[in-house]
Amino acid sequence: MAVPAAFLAPILLLCGLGLRLAAAHGPTGVECVLFNEEYMTCVWGSRETLTTNYSLYYWYENRSPVVECKRYLWDRGVSIGCHFNQSEIVQFQPFHVLLNASLNGQALEIRSKRMELQDLVKPGAPVNLTIRNMSSNQLQLTWSSPYPKAQCLEHAVKYKSNKDTSWIEHGVKGDIFSFPSVDYEKYYTFYVRSKINSYCGSTQLWSEWSVPVVWGRNTTSKGLAEEQLQWFWIHTVLVPIASCLLLLVLVVLLVRMERVWVILMPRIPNPSKNFDELFITHNGNFQEWAGVPKDMLESFKPNYSESICYVSELPSREIHDPQWDGSNRLPGGPGAPAPPRA
Amino acid sequence: MSHAFFRSIFRVLPLLLVLSPVNSSSCTMGNKTAEIRVKYENILSHDIDELVNMSAEYRDRCCKNKKHEHSKVFFCNDTQEIESLQSMACNMLKFFNKQKISKEFRWKAALVSCGTLQVLQCKCERHKKEKVCTQVNTHNNEDRETGEQSKKKCNHEFCELKENISSLRSCWNKFEKIISR
Repeated sequence: MAVPAAFLAPILLLCGLGLRLAAAHGPTGVECVLFNEEYMTCVWGSRETLTTNYSLYYWYENRSPVVECKRYLWDRGVSIGCHFNQSEIVQFQPFHVLLNASLNGQALEIRSKRMELQDLVKPGAPVNLTIRNMSSNQLQLTWSSPYPKAQCLEHAVKYKSNKDTSWIEHGVKGDIFSFPSVDYEKYYTFYVRSKINSYCGSTQLWSEWSVPVVWGRNTTSKGLAEEQLQWFWIHTVLVPIASCLLLLVLVVLLVRMERVWVILMPRIPNPSKNFDELFITHNGNFQEWAGVPKDMLESFKPNYSESICYVSELPSREIHDPQWDGSNRLPGGPGAPAPPRA
Repeated sequence: MSHAFFRSIFRVLPLLLVLSPVNSSSCTMGNKTAEIRVKYENILSHDIDELVNMSAEYRDRCCKNKKHEHSKVFFCNDTQEIESLQSMACNMLKFFNKQKISKEFRWKAALVSCGTLQVLQCKCERHKKEKVCTQVNTHNNEDRETGEQSKKKCNHEFCELKENISSLRSCWNKFEKIISR
């Protein structure tokens, strides 16, 4: 049993070592980027992925001997990259990098593939974004670039309004972008980024997005934000309060001015109470209750007296008395002729 | 008498060699950078892009092992970009008749070479190479192989042509960058 164990131990040791080396995540390659053609960094890992310090050597084909990196980039005590000055960068010459390290007595060497530095240029983000109003609802966006060769750049413009849910992106060759029809009720946000065009290189490295520029209503600049706040207070606080106060004043005035109140809110007459006065106060005297003037009352009273003339039918007699030929009448009746006097 | 004749001849020939300009470029568009730029951007760059894309589609595994073996390396020398482009374009024309390379690829490469020579108004040292350009320009889309036949086995000549194309494109990029503002 001891013999198999003796064979197993080295095997297990080798497996452990292999796993450890695998887990160490040595550099998988070197990534170089030229930032705006001002400086370059070549990075081969991070503190988490590297277990030892690597040395970087570089050379250009057809020129220069092999040179070691002069400025290493460090991450918590581990070298992770190299910084190149502008004077150390040569474009359009094949560039080679070699990483060297020793781990547990073993020399580690990693050669990068041949690089063309003009294809690794990352321009600086565009600056000075400016929007101008053109005629017929058109906007014109212009910018400038920190990259020295503007004609070697192509750009991309990204924009969105406050009513849109997603960004819209357009490719632009020059440094002017025309937005054809703008809605004045919306506000727009614009970003721009740049890349070396295919005439001057072959790269997929876009610059970072620029600082945004906005246009339209509800812009977020400081002065306009304050003005917005003022309008907010006016619209949502002052106006309702003033309206309520005005309404209150009107109501109070209305209540106080009875003439106006009576017109707006006329009393509904209650006849029952009025008739109480007729019967209780005036003892049923309608004229007095109605307020008929006294002289009018007097005028209705007759100012003469008349005696009543009674008319009766006499009993029937001999109507032969010629003196009494129907023309005799009793004295006193009106219109009755007086009896003849003999 | 004959001695005098031969002496005079021998004097003239060295004189001719001395007086002839060294490394004289046979390109006549050298100073017209604006015109070159317009032609390059509007026409030639698109053909170069197509050629590079075509080149990337072919199998090139054998090229990584056989790099720089028996192949001429061209550099885009500083201040001599036009001459470098001329050398690269003229060299690329030699691949036109290489049967191991896909015919479509050879034609496109020749088209780019001839386009470069035309834009820069250059001539090649071996004048018979211009016959290739005549053939390419007149028989542009005729007798091309189909896509199936273009998948040829990776070989040294293909690798060399691919290298040449890459150098040509980089040199054009460099030249464009120099003449751009």
